[in-house]
This record gives sequence, C-alpha cells and structure tokens, in this order.
Amino acid sequence: MPRIRTGIEDRPRRPNVALADQLAEELKSGRSSGQPIIYEQQFPTGKLRVTVVWDAWERLSLEERTDVILRAYDQAEGKGFRDRIALASGLTVPEAHAAGMLPVQIITALRRSDTVTLEECRQAMLDEGASTLFGPDHLQLRFATLEEAEAARQRLVKRLPESEQVWLVTQDVGPLADWSNSEDEG
Amino acid sequence: MPKKLIDRCQTDSIREFRLAARQRFNDGLALAAAGQRTGAIYMWGYTAEMTVKAAYFSLIGLAERATITWNSDLQPAIARGRQMNIFWPKPGEGHNIRAWTDLLIAVRALSAATQYPPPFGLELQRRGQRLEYLWRETLRYRKNYAYGYEMRQAREAAEWLLVNAYAL
Repeated sequence: MPRIRTGIEDRPRRPNVALADQLAEELKSGRSSGQPIIYEQQFPTGKLRVTVVWDAWERLSLEERTDVILRAYDQAEGKGFRDRIALASGLTVPEAHAAGMLPVQIITALRRSDTVTLEECRQAMLDEGASTLFGPDHLQLRFATLEEAEAARQRLVKRLPESEQVWLVTQDVGPLADWSNSEDEG
Repeated sequence: MPKKLIDRCQTDSIREFRLAARQRFNDGLALAAAGQRTGAIYMWGYTAEMTVKAAYFSLIGLAERATITWNSDLQPAIARGRQMNIFWPKPGEGHNIRAWTDLLIAVRALSAATQYPPPFGLELQRRGQRLEYLWRETLRYRKNYAYGYEMRQAREAAEWLLVNAYAL
C-alpha cells in the first residue's frame, strides 16, 4: 500500500509584479498626496496593520492584493519587515469608504464667477487621489480625517489660485449605511 | 417518541461550533465524493465560519458551553470589527469569514501574549480571503456548478482552519 506524504502549502504565488514595484516606489517616496494611501496602524505589540487604499486594486482579489502589499514591503523595507505585519489589506476607495475609513470628503462648489474651470478642478482632484470608481461622472476625493482633508484643500488652493471658495470639506454622519437588505444576518 | 432533530440540537456555543465544524467538513467530503461540488463548498464555508468564530469567542474568554447569541455576542463582535475599520459589508455580516478572520487577527495583535507568530497570522488572513472569493451563505439560493479547482481551494482552506482550530 503506498504511503504518500504531501504538504498542504499553497502553490507558489506570483503577485502582480508591476503593481508591487509601483507600491514599493510609493513606500519609498513618501508622497504627501494622491493614491495609493498607505495606512500603517501600529498595535500595542508593535505589530502593524497595513491598509492600502488604491483604486488600482479593482480587478484583483483580496488575496492577490495582500500578496502585492507584502512583496512591496519586502522590496521597500527588507525581507524581515513582513514579520511585523499582522494584517495586510488592499481596498479600493469605494470599499474603504464603505468600511467607514474615509468619512471626510472634499467637494467642489463651482460658481459661474469663479476663474477656475471644472476641468481644472477635476484634474486637480484626480492628482490629489480622487476616485473614479463611484461612477464616471461622480469623482470623490475622500480622507480619513478632517486634518488630512484640510491639508489637501490647501494644496488644491495653492495649485489653483483663487479657488479658495470652490473647495468644501464635508463629513459623513450617522452609522455605516446599509448597502442593501441583509439576506441572512445570523 | 424520539425527540425531533431540532430539539436534539444544542444552542450555539464554542463547543457546538467546533463539533459542528468537523461534521460539516465531513458532509462536504461526502458531497464532493458524490460530485456535488457546490454543495461541498457550501458545507466547507460553514466549517470555516464556525471554526473562526469559535476561535474569536474563545480568545475573548467566553466559556466553551456558554450560549452565543446574535444580540449579545455576534453583533457586538461585528461592531468591534467595524470600529477597528475592518471592511465588513452589511449583507450577510454574520457569515463574513474574511471579516471574522481579520477581526481575530487584529484582536490577537493587541497583546503580546496572544499575537500570532509570523507568518501564521498572514496565512490565516489568506484563508479568509480565499473563502470570501469562493463562498457566501447565499450559495444555497443559487443554482450553479463549481469548478474543480474552486472545490479544491475551498477544501484546502477549510481543512487548514480545521487542522489549526486550536491554534487560532
């Protein structure tokens, strides 16, 4: 009778190398605006929960996103760094918003008398990290805190002089909205 | 007159979850052997769900036989997860294996005494993510036929959780 021993390890995974390279560069660059937004939440134990908010995740499974994040950290911080990571998650902006992570938003209130154009505002918002995934005509520029939003608003004003009155900061209120009726909660 | 099946069942508890997880795993194997791939995945999803929930409630100190209820236990756990910014969609919230797994890892990471040694936590997270891709409790309402590789992936993930149930 044959006695066959096998491991239960997964097959080797090949993360999306191009995205991992791009994310590694972002980790090293320390840019102050734009996507991806990288949150590193430190637990009291020193372990990290890394959440990368990035619309580029859209077509990747959660598992693939985690692989990309870990590979990017390997590249940017060295191989040993992943031992510090307890959780690594990738979310698109709409997903992060639904998770309650991005309750603050900058919206435009453009008037006819304003000297900046809608297209200029749109491009500036995209460069700041606005998401197009809420719908083609529904750009959303979202943040975790009022401070982050205010810093972004100042950058927008600097980029587009005389747009001070155009940018409004708003904050979601109330509990996480139900996306739809739950089919089975328990 | 023998008691009815429903009347013979215990209330939800860590102990019951763990025992039922093993039973559902075997149910899944029987279905898989009969070529019922979707049914097999359906069972293995519950294997995973109960295993992870049992681990979480054990971690927070619930007694093995204490009754677990929606209002007293499940809902507060989900609320805690959302407070920790875990991505936890409302539909099917009680059954979201990936979110429960993330919660378990995050709560363990709060204390040096309970944190997972690397790379165990990331391996656990991966199993939760894999099952999110393959399983919903609403599979029971759907008529479809799973691919062979999907069945294999679901079995491997559920099996890994079951094998490591007491280390979670």
